[in-house]
Amino acid sequence: MNVGSRRKAENIIALFLSFLAAFFGIFWLVFILGDVLVHGIGALKLSLFLNDPVPPGVSGGGLRNAFAGQMLITLFATFIGVPLGVLGGTFLAEYARGTRVAAVISILSDIMVSVPSIVIGTFIYAVLVRPLGHFSGWAGAAALAVIMVPVVLRTTEDMLSLVPWTLREAAFALGAPYYKVIIQVVYRAAATGIFTGILLAVARVAGETAPLLFTSFNNAYFSLNMNGPISSLTATIFQYAMGPYDDWHAQAWAASFVITATVLLITIVGRILISWRLK
Amino acid sequence: MIQKRNPIDLLFSVITAGASFMVILLVIGIFAVLMKESSLSIERFGFIKFIITNEWNPVTEVFGAAASIFGTMVTTAIALMIAIPIAIGIAIFVTEIAPDFMKGPIGAAIELLAAIPSIIYGMWGLFTLAPIMSKYIEPQLQKYLGNIPLLGALFEGTPMGIDLLTASVILSIMIIPFTASISRDAFNLTPSVVKESAYAVGATQWEVVRDVVLPYSKMGVFGGIVLSLGRALGETMAVAFVLGNNHQITASLFNAAATITVTLANEFTEADKDVYLSSLFHLALVLFMMSFIVLAAAKFLLFKAERRSNV
Repeated sequence: MNVGSRRKAENIIALFLSFLAAFFGIFWLVFILGDVLVHGIGALKLSLFLNDPVPPGVSGGGLRNAFAGQMLITLFATFIGVPLGVLGGTFLAEYARGTRVAAVISILSDIMVSVPSIVIGTFIYAVLVRPLGHFSGWAGAAALAVIMVPVVLRTTEDMLSLVPWTLREAAFALGAPYYKVIIQVVYRAAATGIFTGILLAVARVAGETAPLLFTSFNNAYFSLNMNGPISSLTATIFQYAMGPYDDWHAQAWAASFVITATVLLITIVGRILISWRLK
Repeated sequence: MIQKRNPIDLLFSVITAGASFMVILLVIGIFAVLMKESSLSIERFGFIKFIITNEWNPVTEVFGAAASIFGTMVTTAIALMIAIPIAIGIAIFVTEIAPDFMKGPIGAAIELLAAIPSIIYGMWGLFTLAPIMSKYIEPQLQKYLGNIPLLGALFEGTPMGIDLLTASVILSIMIIPFTASISRDAFNLTPSVVKESAYAVGATQWEVVRDVVLPYSKMGVFGGIVLSLGRALGETMAVAFVLGNNHQITASLFNAAATITVTLANEFTEADKDVYLSSLFHLALVLFMMSFIVLAAAKFLLFKAERRSNV
């Protein structure tokens, strides 16, 4: 075989292998999503959203408590995490732009984004659960907020940095103080980006399980009391899937379907927004 | 500033500064709190001795993290061995080979895979992958590789599907999209002029990837791999379903085991004694330090890679 055809053969083999790798990746996506879809839709009933859990063996139970709890925890986590993240990102991109402090905080946030979420759960347990003597929805929301802050902070910083400096100078020239420039000019220019960052952060925490296991714990009864243990979809999936009953498994699949669909929907909306803005 | 500072502006800057310093406070706070909570365990077992002791016995109240750390390392290592070549293959396909109309959809699909919550992977692993592994894949591995000396020890025992191998496979599926998307970003940093000049002298696509793109982006790809390593170390729910939480160090991949995260997830709320709970905090501290160091290293590598491509 001459050099030319050997090179061609090598090329084809390598390209084929990388095609296989891509196929392999897509294969798992289809496999997992397909499985969740098939099992989940099969178990999806109206009673799942309207009824509370019943003892195993009794039919007609639902996960109303988990849906309500999950929404409450995620909502309060967003209320705590988003303002902190947006304001923190503002400081890094505006007042502290280009300083060493900003670089350090930025790097620390990047690390915090990937720190194991279960460690954050143990931290909140030590700070908010043990001193108070009981699990609580607040502790769960706090744990999710801790995960959210660095995510929102970093996207906000990036989005504000994309706003051209000349835009600020134009506002300064009209005599506006910096805070007015930030709120009325910079935030407006970066609004879509910041909003996308918030969406992606919500999607990220909505599927978190590990930090909730020992903060908000779980609750078999319907409860809206954030000051006591509260049920969440993810913790319920963990409990039900590991349990011995077929009925529990079906409900776990249904809950997984709802959570996957929600998270993917939020993520897709976020991606569309960002690509639409950057066009 | 020349002017007297606007008081509202001062207030706003202080508020935003406070919010961003929260991050530093959190990092220090987590470290300090975990240190304090694990002091009982550190006192009784010693920080280093705790790490190398292979006993986890809530009854006699002797705790050592060796088995959990072993499980964490083995699952992470196998997951990376599977994930890295595939992820790089995907990145090559998406950046260099795929026709333009496929690049967008495949890239998007890979990123969606990264957005699926880890508990879904875990549950899918328990109900779908574990039976497949125990029925088809593991017996085959045992049949063909089980008789080879040394290597065979990895595949001993009854294939149950709830074991180190299944957990590693799920972990690898989970980190593939993550590694792939960072590698893709690193590949994209290669200036097209350099690639085009290689094509101009007659290089094939593979030669361009091997001799131009890979050398150019190796730092970034390596940083991405280290970042994935950090992610894999701390993953909880994807492995919690299929690992069995069994504190033992075993040669066989067909045995149930425990990782730091799985131990925490299963035992934290059950710890009834102070030493027990303190040992669990000690585990969390070890995990926090491990992942913090790995993630910091990854950040450093990625930072260097980015700076290099800017010059």
